[in-house]
Amino acid sequence: MNIKSGSFNLVFGESGCGKSTLFRLCKREISPNGKRSGNILYKGTDISILEPKISACKIGFVGQKPDEQIVTDKVWHELAFGLENSGLKNTEIKSRVAEMSSYFGINEWYHKNTDELSGGQKQILNLASVMVMQPDILILDEPTSQLDPIAASNFIEALKKLNYDFGLTILIAEHRLEEIFPVADNAFAMENGRIIFSGNPKNVCEKLKGNNLEMSLPTPSRVWSSLEVNCECPLTVRDGRNFLRENFPDKFGREISVKNEHGSSESKNNTAIEADGIFFRYGKKLPDILENMSLTVNKGEIFSILGGNGCGKTTTLNILSGIDIPYKGCIKILGKKINSYKNNSLYRNTLAYLPQNPMSVFIKTSVREDLADILNVLDIPKNEQSYHITDISQKVGISDFLGRHPYDLSGGEIQKCAIAKILLTNPQIMLLDEPTKGMDAFYKNTLLTIMKALKNEGKTILMVTHDIEFAAEASDRCALFFDGGIVSYGVPNEFFSGNSFYTTSAGRMSRDFFKNAVLCSEIVRLCGG
Amino acid sequence: MKAFAKIHPFVLMIYFLTIVTVSMFVSNPVIKLLSLAGAFLFSFMLTDKKEKLEDIKFYLPLALLIAVTNPLFSHNGETPLFFMNGNAVTLEAVFYGIDISVMIISVMLWFKSCNIIMSSDKLIYLFGRIMPKTALIISMAIRFIPMLKRRINEVSRAQKTMGLYSVQSYTDRLHSLVRVISAVIGWSLEGAVETSRSMKSRGYALKGHTCYSDYKFTGKDTAILSVFISLTALAFWGTSGGCLRFYFYPVISELNTDFRAVVTYSAFGVLAFFPFLFEVEENIRWTYYRSKISALRTQEQKSRL
Amino acid sequence: MKKDFLVIFTLVLLAAVLIMGTDFQSVDEYYLTHISDIKEDSYTVTLTISCKEALENYDRLDEALKNEKYVPSDGFILKPTKYVLRKGDTAFDVLYRAARYNRIQLEFQGAEKNSFGSNYIKGINYLYEFSCGENSGWIYTVNGVPPNFGCSQYVLKDGDKLDFVYTCSLGASVLNFKTNGR
Repeated sequence: MNIKSGSFNLVFGESGCGKSTLFRLCKREISPNGKRSGNILYKGTDISILEPKISACKIGFVGQKPDEQIVTDKVWHELAFGLENSGLKNTEIKSRVAEMSSYFGINEWYHKNTDELSGGQKQILNLASVMVMQPDILILDEPTSQLDPIAASNFIEALKKLNYDFGLTILIAEHRLEEIFPVADNAFAMENGRIIFSGNPKNVCEKLKGNNLEMSLPTPSRVWSSLEVNCECPLTVRDGRNFLRENFPDKFGREISVKNEHGSSESKNNTAIEADGIFFRYGKKLPDILENMSLTVNKGEIFSILGGNGCGKTTTLNILSGIDIPYKGCIKILGKKINSYKNNSLYRNTLAYLPQNPMSVFIKTSVREDLADILNVLDIPKNEQSYHITDISQKVGISDFLGRHPYDLSGGEIQKCAIAKILLTNPQIMLLDEPTKGMDAFYKNTLLTIMKALKNEGKTILMVTHDIEFAAEASDRCALFFDGGIVSYGVPNEFFSGNSFYTTSAGRMSRDFFKNAVLCSEIVRLCGG
Repeated sequence: MKAFAKIHPFVLMIYFLTIVTVSMFVSNPVIKLLSLAGAFLFSFMLTDKKEKLEDIKFYLPLALLIAVTNPLFSHNGETPLFFMNGNAVTLEAVFYGIDISVMIISVMLWFKSCNIIMSSDKLIYLFGRIMPKTALIISMAIRFIPMLKRRINEVSRAQKTMGLYSVQSYTDRLHSLVRVISAVIGWSLEGAVETSRSMKSRGYALKGHTCYSDYKFTGKDTAILSVFISLTALAFWGTSGGCLRFYFYPVISELNTDFRAVVTYSAFGVLAFFPFLFEVEENIRWTYYRSKISALRTQEQKSRL
Repeated sequence: MKKDFLVIFTLVLLAAVLIMGTDFQSVDEYYLTHISDIKEDSYTVTLTISCKEALENYDRLDEALKNEKYVPSDGFILKPTKYVLRKGDTAFDVLYRAARYNRIQLEFQGAEKNSFGSNYIKGINYLYEFSCGENSGWIYTVNGVPPNFGCSQYVLKDGDKLDFVYTCSLGASVLNFKTNGR
């Protein structure tokens, strides 16, 4: 692998393919222990014999978790931290910090506590506090995996700018390729610890045809590779639209028929969740988070709530799961009022909630212990426990991780384990908060399969997500949440094709060409058939 | 931001240390009352209307309670008011109680202002000059605590939806809480590994660590510091030789009002009122400048006409 | 939070007052104007309250107490005086009655508030424990011997000689190390 100075390099591959390990090996201070062979050279010098100062300053590293990378309590101190370590004088630190905070627009929160920042701000701060050390190369290990899409694209914009404006060499690992793929100069596809393909992104796309990694490519490329067309691979939505127009002029105007099933099924005893006129606020003096929010979820459907940051989506789940109590409004779970579920009966065989951070579900030192623990809470006798655990782990596909410590698992793995744990309570209704956060395409696919299987068992799933693509693929109905309530409902095809901006990239790509196509597979079908 | 908070942290630290020490250890009612008045006025400048009301609602009853406590437990004094279970409740003890409550309330108010004025970065800056490593640890700890709180909340909520907190049994809830906390600590330790990586990758292990700060010691700071030092020295001169000595038992002693005592009182008075006067002065200066600006403007307008 | 603190403080204070008891007396009620006369057949004890040691250690004495009023120059707060001994009177009872009659200030800690199970004399005539150095305080002897009981446990006999002595040396000068409370 050879990285040219001033280039933008992307490494992608399934979780656990060795991206993180590779990246950490490139940064001497944090190299993992173990047996190592081969050399890593920085400007012709092996990094193990680099001067400490050059190694620390010239190779910048930004990791996955925004929270854990922050060291100090104040934004300004965090920015100065690296410079303090390299022993610069006060005046020089001041000018460099000032420069960086102006560049990244940190001025407004320069004096704030680091704890008050949003996830996106935290990650920008991490980037800025590495950039003050004026590195030549920046290594980023899935920096946007914990961010929502808007914060993530801001972050990637910042990276692009750094690359364009200063010729900063960037080496980044990502699994959200939609935006970053077109920007990169070089793409490296990794599998099982080795680089299988490398080169210009378009070429890599072409080479990946038929490979498992194909799934993680941007939608236009995926459409291209599913259709046998002899032309350059499109990477952006713009290219994708041209691609459709040039190659399939005869298919123009085709449409996906929208099944209007929810009209008939809205009989009384078929609702799983019913919320009516909910008002909620966190404090007496604070504004309403939810304002006259009403929501009906039918039994056996997958329902997605989409919407921007801080609009009250998570709060809605907290309320539906009985953690927070609204000051006005009525909630019925399976036709019964939520406060008539006494003690824990709501959480036994009825409703389960998977919070945004799956880590918070685990309190033991191994996944197996945690699963056994929940069975203990449910008073299931010891001799039956192992049967339940084996059963559920096969169903969700976590048999290999049972002995592992929850913290050692990757984002996708831990999410699956968390789902397994909450499934042990045998819920009828599952509330999922951002289930795809930090997951690569492969795990998203697995999750999709699990969710569909659960649906077929008759379980109801209500999820809150930023992931438009996933919602379009998984859900029976979608809703847009805005300003304390739900503003629009619909089946995905109807819902997303109605929106011009808030829609999938497949939707954007085919909007003027096909009607109601919102999924990659739908475009392929319309083009083919 | 308040003008007083813009003084160099070192000067501020000296000030608060002196004023609190004197208020606590000099047993003279005049000194204590001056300290209370200064603390009260200054802390009132720092708070908004609602908080002022709440402060009064808190400190007044507290002062009363402290004042009442002493005569109930201490029965010394020549002037018994009545006897309780065979022991005297005396006038001297009542006054002594008032004296103690003045002292405690003034120290509390000073600490309150100190808390507002001395933000964590100022403290860390001061520490950092003496012990850079410790300062960093404190800074990390300050960051860590709200994070820990948030996580405990997060985990306990998640566990709640899995039926871990049964509502009725307290022991069960306590048990669950212990488990949550131990889980969060494990989680945070895991996070600490990541943090240490982030520190290392930004060159924490390098030699020649410096301590960055935004604070500059200006001429104004020197002037203020010298004022503080001379006032304190004057006050020390006064208290030496026991000229301010005052006692309540067995009989309340007379207040010393000779020249030396008066000088001490006034020196300390200036010291105690300094933050308040400083704020007032800054406010006046600001209005003066503003009026000057508007005067200039009207002049300009007139000349244009 | 702050409100809770105030409420708790008040409750603790009230509880303390209730536990201590609420036996209130006015000043006039407290001081006795009359004390039992000594008759031919009445049992008596001789009570002395002395503070000679405070005089010997005058430089260590509290500034506020350096006064003839509190530490008389003859060393006697109460010169040897005979009092009637009622049946079952303890050393404390005699002292208490004499103090109330002679208007001598007296502060004691009730038996229920300490671990000795006896009233503990904290101060007589404004002269308190620790008023004259850290080893100072009140002790008592009966016929020159410090008893092994607290002063409200020791029942006196006819003709006993009761001395309350202010010591500045944990009672080293009065025979062995035995103080009034212990």
